[in-house]
Amino acid sequence: MITDHTLLGLATIIYFALFFFHILYFVWKRQALLAAVQYTLYAAAAVQAAGILMRWALSYRLGIGHAPLSNYYESLIFFSWSVSVFLIGIRKRRLYPIVTFIASGISLVLMAYASLSPGVERGIQPLIPALQSNWLHIHVITCFLGYAAFTISFICGALYFFGPNGTIPARENLEDMNYRSIIIGFSMLTSGILTGAVWAHFAWGSYWSWDPKETWSLITWIIYAVVLHLRLAGGLKGRRIAVLSIIGFASVIMTYFGVNFFLAGLHSYAT
Amino acid sequence: MSATKNNKTGNRLVVRALRFLVSVRLTIVTLSLIAATSIVGSLVPQGASREEYLSRYSEKAYHFIKLFGLDDAYHSPWFYLLLGVFALNLLLCTLQRLRRLTGPAERHTGDLSGLVSAGFGFVTSPLNKGEVIRRIGPSYKRVRISERIELFEKGRLSRWGVVIIHTSVLLVLAGGLIGNMAGFKAYLVLRPGDEASAAMSRKPGQSAVVLGFRVRCTGFRVTLYPSGQPKEYASDIEILDDKGNVLKRGRIRVNEPLSYRGIYFYQSSYGRTNIYTFTGEGRTFELAEGEAARDAKVPFMVVRHADDVHGLGPGVMVAYMDPDGARALWFLEKVEKMRSHTLKGSRVSLVKIGGLYHTGLEVSRDPGVPAVLSGFVLMLAGLYINFFTAHRRIYVAGGPDTLVVAGTASRNREAFRKEIERLGGGIA
Repeated sequence: MITDHTLLGLATIIYFALFFFHILYFVWKRQALLAAVQYTLYAAAAVQAAGILMRWALSYRLGIGHAPLSNYYESLIFFSWSVSVFLIGIRKRRLYPIVTFIASGISLVLMAYASLSPGVERGIQPLIPALQSNWLHIHVITCFLGYAAFTISFICGALYFFGPNGTIPARENLEDMNYRSIIIGFSMLTSGILTGAVWAHFAWGSYWSWDPKETWSLITWIIYAVVLHLRLAGGLKGRRIAVLSIIGFASVIMTYFGVNFFLAGLHSYAT
Repeated sequence: MSATKNNKTGNRLVVRALRFLVSVRLTIVTLSLIAATSIVGSLVPQGASREEYLSRYSEKAYHFIKLFGLDDAYHSPWFYLLLGVFALNLLLCTLQRLRRLTGPAERHTGDLSGLVSAGFGFVTSPLNKGEVIRRIGPSYKRVRISERIELFEKGRLSRWGVVIIHTSVLLVLAGGLIGNMAGFKAYLVLRPGDEASAAMSRKPGQSAVVLGFRVRCTGFRVTLYPSGQPKEYASDIEILDDKGNVLKRGRIRVNEPLSYRGIYFYQSSYGRTNIYTFTGEGRTFELAEGEAARDAKVPFMVVRHADDVHGLGPGVMVAYMDPDGARALWFLEKVEKMRSHTLKGSRVSLVKIGGLYHTGLEVSRDPGVPAVLSGFVLMLAGLYINFFTAHRRIYVAGGPDTLVVAGTASRNREAFRKEIERLGGGIA
């Protein structure tokens, strides 16, 4: 029987193929391989979406129906999918193979970790009362699209120090894409924090409780706000912006993973 | 002479102070310090007891934490100071920007030939004016600037993006301040049938918040998943006035609070209190843990509950006084022989272990919420306007034998360059 795990496993294999096609492209530089990369990316995102939808449907069959956005396993899968959706959304002429290569590598690692790590609970669990709200969907989706955008920003920021050469694009192109990703990520993170605050107002009786997840999302928000001000009002460019986008991503990692493992709080169901 | 000099240096100081207060540098420094405080606040446990800190840190570190208020970092005076400086900086920046936006330099055309040579314009024959205007299309608003210059612009609102975002942040901060000063956070624990007219404050050192009306819990219900986890829990609540008239009635679920006169009641937790029914000498005693049957022939007290005593099922430990001192005995609900004991010659039997749910309600009043929520809406609108719309201006300047078409865009200049190219296609 085909289950969500079958489809998500298939998606992992397609991500692996995507990763491999990239390497072939870097070796032979054939346009045909670039087209293969493009279609494999579509295929991976589509199969993964089918897996997520299947899991959603299965949860209803179990009588505990809810969107698969509620635990650590589901969030890892959604994170990986968000990265691909973000890549698909970028206009083709701005999409560099080296960026999709690293991004697909990250998606692959996230999927492999989600499906193989013994520390990740993969079953469909019932939803605790606090999560039974329509704010769940918009809150999680905006947060993870933000994380995905910051992932791309991080990739551009890191590549800045290695190029330019045959595979790594010119610095101003990386910087342009980094900036665009930060704008989208910042808008999405803001939406995520604000929808979360409205939800907390209805669920916990307080729109802000300095819960570690809230606090760290604020820290991340401040870092990117500083980056935007330095660039837009301070005219900062180049190397420093690249460094800051790496620091910003470290804060994203802390917000998403670190808080769950090191700090206890209201969001601890996400582990 | 010296007075004017003092005055001048004084003025200069004021100017410098003002310049510092509106600087982006100050914004970045205060934001970074707020972030740094937040990091510390998330790593050091907040509001814990002295013992908890000493079990984690050394005596010295504990004094340091106390000295800088790091045990309540988000309410420490210097955190408020940081927020205050940040708010002032933001306010002044916003006012400065507002002045610039509404100032007289607004309609300045700038250097059109420079724009042309930068690729954002072209020169054509005056005969093509009608065609150029047709190509610009109706999405642009037409403004006559002078005899020979016309401006076509769209996305003017985009220039207001920053002001809107900054105002929204100020609104959220103001809402937070209002909530902090005029609001309260408290909680209530009620068993079905219980009534309360005050809630326990969450602020340390402040004991109770008088509600001004009475709250009665008329029922509590919890449904569980097959796994035993709670699926839904809800309390039925009545709001009563002093005379006992019901003013409002409702069911509170998680995510569905009930409000009355600006005070919100949230379902936040629940628990179960065990009630033990004993009989002895023809009398019945209903006791909770820690309660004593003082008027029994031999007084006894319920000490401790255990879900499972040596694999024999639930039991309860009961203590009583003997001439030799305190004695304790286990009563087991499921074992016939262990259901009754003789305490100093008086026979006492455990009839049943029953349970009573109690509901935990979060009670809060926050008059700052409307400001905060409108700040949220404004912030999202501002982000969209600022980052995803652009202010585009196209000047059409007619001369006796040439027509100059050139423009500027506040963002996404590449796309705008394409638009200018399209305008000039075949006629430039």
